Amino acid sequence: MNSMTLNKYQLIIMADDKQVVLERILQVTRYRGFLINGINAEVNTGNNVATITMSVSSERPISLLIDQINKLIDIKGVKVDNSEVQIKQHSA
Amino acid sequence: MKKLIEAESTEKIDFNNITIGIIMTESKTLTGGALLFEVLQEHGVQHVFGYPGGAIMPIYDALYDSDVKHFLCRHEQGAAFSAVGYARAAGTVGVCLATSGPGATNLITGLADALADSIPVVAITGQVPTAAMGSDAFQEIDIFGLSLACTKHSFQVTDINELEKVLHQAFEIALEGRHGPVLVDIPKDVQLAEVTQRLDKLSHLKNKVKLPLADISKALDLLTHAKQPILYVGGGVGMANAVEEVRDFAEKTGMPSVSTLKGLGAINPDNENYLGMLGMHGTKAANLAVQECDLLVVVGARFDDRVTGKLDEFAPNARIIHFDIDTAEINKRREADAAILGDLKGNLPLLSTELDIANWQEKLKQMSIDYAWRYDHPGDNIFAPAVLKTVSDLMPSNTCVTTDVGQHQMWSAQHMTFDDPSNFLTSGGMGTMGFGLPAAIGAQISRPHDTVIAVSGDGSIMMNVQELATIKRYQIPVKIVLIDNAKLGMVRQWQDLFFDGRLSETDLSDNPDFIMLATAFDIKSKLITQKSEVKAAVEEMLDHDGPYLLQVKIDAAENVWPLVPPNTANDKMMESV
Repeated sequence: MNSMTLNKYQLIIMADDKQVVLERILQVTRYRGFLINGINAEVNTGNNVATITMSVSSERPISLLIDQINKLIDIKGVKVDNSEVQIKQHSA
Repeated sequence: MKKLIEAESTEKIDFNNITIGIIMTESKTLTGGALLFEVLQEHGVQHVFGYPGGAIMPIYDALYDSDVKHFLCRHEQGAAFSAVGYARAAGTVGVCLATSGPGATNLITGLADALADSIPVVAITGQVPTAAMGSDAFQEIDIFGLSLACTKHSFQVTDINELEKVLHQAFEIALEGRHGPVLVDIPKDVQLAEVTQRLDKLSHLKNKVKLPLADISKALDLLTHAKQPILYVGGGVGMANAVEEVRDFAEKTGMPSVSTLKGLGAINPDNENYLGMLGMHGTKAANLAVQECDLLVVVGARFDDRVTGKLDEFAPNARIIHFDIDTAEINKRREADAAILGDLKGNLPLLSTELDIANWQEKLKQMSIDYAWRYDHPGDNIFAPAVLKTVSDLMPSNTCVTTDVGQHQMWSAQHMTFDDPSNFLTSGGMGTMGFGLPAAIGAQISRPHDTVIAVSGDGSIMMNVQELATIKRYQIPVKIVLIDNAKLGMVRQWQDLFFDGRLSETDLSDNPDFIMLATAFDIKSKLITQKSEVKAAVEEMLDHDGPYLLQVKIDAAENVWPLVPPNTANDKMMESV
């Protein structure tokens, strides 16, 4: 049995409320090896600013994902909620 | 004591705010298609590569009246790679056009290649009319969705009044920071729609976000205490237009240097402390030096897996100073002891200082002599490394060489020398077979007075062989050196070495007659099979005014050496079996 330590993080993402900004974030998150555990997005509201709160988990450092999301053109900023939780998953 | 100067940090630009303060002015009525070409010309675009089709017909109609010169490629992938080659050879933005559906999807490999190698390309795609979008219309594909994974950014313009702003943004994004491809998808009705107001100017009021300043002091401390430093040079040097600064740094510090595939040409090949390429097919001296060094100064490189071999064992004793413009590359694969973000051209000279490393220099110089390439291959058959060295020795200065992907690519990297990164164009990150020929076409168009040589293999050239028609159409004087082993040579090599010699689908002995093929496209050609023919044939090729294909038959069993096997440390390279 292999054990894999997953760290769980809560991200708060501020973005320009542009077309497909949510898709861009989801694509980067999956590609960079993070599981999305939950998401709350306020997009296409006409306010010009989109707010996305996303719970993710991965054995990779969160800085990897933050840097990649920050590279997206429409992103204004990414914050990590400090209440970091570690969960363990076991796989055969 | 060296005075410390703060490094210039990179700044994230908010592209959505770049048009603050725009002044709209009345002007002549333009269609979306005509507006596109006006904006292209405002960005200095003289040449574009493309292929017409139904959903981009209004743009091609506008092209008819434009001063922009269009090169009709014979496949959209060829157009994309020609745009990449154009951009890389000239240090500018390459532009390609394609219609909707299959035209757009055919661009994808070229865009992915440009993303992997950080090449500024603007791709314009036609789209079905906005009213038809989402209805599975003829030649409709969600290229905007497909673009997410293979572009730096992408746009779909559904309002003619947004088109000009988006096009300006596309060029800014392609060139800002770490370069990359941008796609602009334009529905047919937007191409046909008319606009009477032009943006008078862009205010460039950018919302800048400061990134942390580098710790120059720490980097200087690491540098001055190092006994065995190595300068590790990547493709970012050329992108940053920092070749001169890197060469000055290498000279002043006397630091021995190694290069990635994409960094070749950045260090003057005559530099006495230059050790050549590192990594999977790097020189023995370069790999051993890096494994032994106590400090790696990384400039515009990213610890690619083909460079590091087994990452945990790469440069095990080295502290790291990492210069990069992309924050996401810092600590991505190897933690940096000092990270210096921003423009390499401005930042690297801050660390330039003389070092007392004579013993280390002498040791590595001796290693370079001990492990120098040998060309005394037995027999009469042609030895591919020797052919490429001959081409390199005979080609005029400032020749631009492109390659495809495979054994010939690695032999070119090992045995040819380049005096600038813009003179060696190869698909580094994506490793795309089919790159070399269309990239050479783009390079030749951007640099009409320089010699351009495409080194290809018999597998790779067939991937975009239709571009011979583009060469014929415009009489583009590209020289093609076709290294022919009638095999997918690199895959065959790996099957021999790592898959018990089970040669699965790598035999190409039924290739077409390449001489006849060249003749069909009015390209002068020659086949050589013996070592004694090489020099005269290369001279004849280089002396010929027009396009030329030199087919070089080599031994099918020839391997690329040395080779660091997968997941192995770089000091455990295989040299022959």
